[in-house]
Amino acid sequence: MRMRWLALGAILAICLSGGAQAADPGLTKNSIKIGVFGPLTGPAAAFGKAQLGIRAVYDDLNEHGGINGRKIEVVLEDTACDPAKGIAASKKLIAQDQVFLLHGGSCSNVVMALKPDVIASGVPYVVATAANASITDPVAPNVFQTVATTATMGRTMVDFAMTKPDAKRIAVISHSDEWGKSGHDPALVELKTKFDLTPVADVTFERGSINATPQVLQIKNANPDFVLAFLYPAEYAIFLREASKYGLNVPSMGSQAISIQDTAQQVGNPAIMKNVYVFYPLAAQIGDAKIARWVDIFTKYNPGVRLESNGLLGMGGAEAVIEALRQAGPDLTRAKFLAALDNLHNFDTGILAAPLEFSPTHHAGMNGGATITYVGDKLVLIHKFTDAQK
Amino acid sequence: MLAQLVVSGIGQGSIYALVALGMTILFRVTTVVNFAHGELFMFSAFVIYLLLNAFDVPYLLAALAAILVLFVLGSVVERVLMRPIRHAPHMALAMMTVALSYLLRGVVRMGWGGDVRSLPPMFTFDPVMLGTVVLAAQDIVTIGATLLLVAGFFVLLQRSRFGKLAQAATDSPRGAALIGLNVPGFHRTMWGVAAAMAAIAGILVAPVTLLYPDMGAQVLVRAFAAMTLGGFGNLGGAVAGGLLMGVLEQLAGFYVSTAMIDIASYIVIIVVLLSRPAGLFGRVERVRV
Repeated sequence: MRMRWLALGAILAICLSGGAQAADPGLTKNSIKIGVFGPLTGPAAAFGKAQLGIRAVYDDLNEHGGINGRKIEVVLEDTACDPAKGIAASKKLIAQDQVFLLHGGSCSNVVMALKPDVIASGVPYVVATAANASITDPVAPNVFQTVATTATMGRTMVDFAMTKPDAKRIAVISHSDEWGKSGHDPALVELKTKFDLTPVADVTFERGSINATPQVLQIKNANPDFVLAFLYPAEYAIFLREASKYGLNVPSMGSQAISIQDTAQQVGNPAIMKNVYVFYPLAAQIGDAKIARWVDIFTKYNPGVRLESNGLLGMGGAEAVIEALRQAGPDLTRAKFLAALDNLHNFDTGILAAPLEFSPTHHAGMNGGATITYVGDKLVLIHKFTDAQK
Repeated sequence: MLAQLVVSGIGQGSIYALVALGMTILFRVTTVVNFAHGELFMFSAFVIYLLLNAFDVPYLLAALAAILVLFVLGSVVERVLMRPIRHAPHMALAMMTVALSYLLRGVVRMGWGGDVRSLPPMFTFDPVMLGTVVLAAQDIVTIGATLLLVAGFFVLLQRSRFGKLAQAATDSPRGAALIGLNVPGFHRTMWGVAAAMAAIAGILVAPVTLLYPDMGAQVLVRAFAAMTLGGFGNLGGAVAGGLLMGVLEQLAGFYVSTAMIDIASYIVIIVVLLSRPAGLFGRVERVRV
């Protein structure tokens, strides 16, 4: 009996000491395996450029010696913006590839679908560019968002609209799907609680629709000062064209799903673009020296891929991952990495419009953004409506 | 406001009518419901985009080339995909067109990704003002093209010898073959014509709707609703159904709720199938046995 207890104690001691020293999955002396996934094919493949940007940051890190003596090994998986494929990809990365951490997801529906499994696994998960606020609300210990959530975007858009002198009459047009609502609803709450206003018109415009006449006429009838548009790129361009056709000439603001340059090309009329503002999540526009480093990295590691803001958007998260790995030190564990992310305060990624701010109770790291608009034929980043008029 | 909504609805409905017309012609001649018609429409727009941007071809020439390319594509589809299974059940034929629709979308995505692209407007003259009603140049052209095409096909299929042969090939392929009609060749030609019709719709619509691989899906659903409303296989019915659908969407969207626009077509399909399965202009077929 005594021998049995001794043997049990010895096993326990071995387990405890061994457990403390055993590396987490995905780690070797020389490498950290990171699972990157997103919509590389399918209808939302344009958003998948974020994953190419993330991989490029890690490739660049490797070329400059890696982090704490280790190089990043990226395993890339395609979700095609399909929840079933997203779940399969995350399970493969965790169970088969045994990655140290996950970094991916540009479609909120996919991220919401795979989130329960990832939370249960305890694997650190840094979301790429999926922006639905429900991803990190409520907070899970191992899930972090590094772009402005749709709630942050909605509130910021309202705050921007209200910098228009004498702005009182705000109209809203949005998709009625989960993505549209996740920007629309917080915007309406912000409008009510901060400015005691309700929208003068609140209309829906479904994805894939090709005519916005009823919406535009309803909004025009309401005589708004400003229109907030929670629409995807094609629908926003159609709305702008129809608004111009029916003489609705008031400023409008699009979401971070919109590329203002692409919109200008799609609308095909510079006069319309004078009244267009877009929530902008990057620190500067493409072509500005301030973000040239990330533009160069993207184009170097993704030759032939047309660069747009989506390609740069995920790179801020990659910078945050690298910083947390740096702070976690050479004796890296998942617990140390998560603790480092939890304590990342006011971290300027250099590429995002606002610094990242995490705490154990707050995992939606980016709490603001800029606005981009055309002044003449030049794009400028502004923070107040009146700045564009100067 | 009502007049503006009706005019806008007619413009919008013309797009549905054009798409429904192409599907109706094919259905009438081959009895195949082509679920890939929306993708043929999308594909033609990308053909023009390619010709304009990669080869700097003039717009008109690119549009004509797109019609030709789609005619050839439609003919090839009939010969390679449909003819080998022509005796299969209708469901198998329909599923083949579903597979074709995904194939075409995939091909476009491989070539251009999922980005939204734009075509320059075909006509740059100013909108026409009828009092307070705005009528865009593109709408005028779409409405005109729809009326011309429906008139042309009406004459071709109802008043010409070709139409009688088409009817014979549809009603009794074996009998038509016995009198010397090349039925498979006729079907191949009509697949080409239907695809060319999709190309015409794409040419007229793409500058307004923007280009992306999924652009055909919503229009296809509306075109089905238009065919259901007007009566399956009825040319005039398809056009009238399309125009009615367009106006109905605009009025429901403005006077009831913008959320109604997206579900109007499904409501139409349900109501018509329950109350008048043959559609507004369709005839109930009675077979004496």
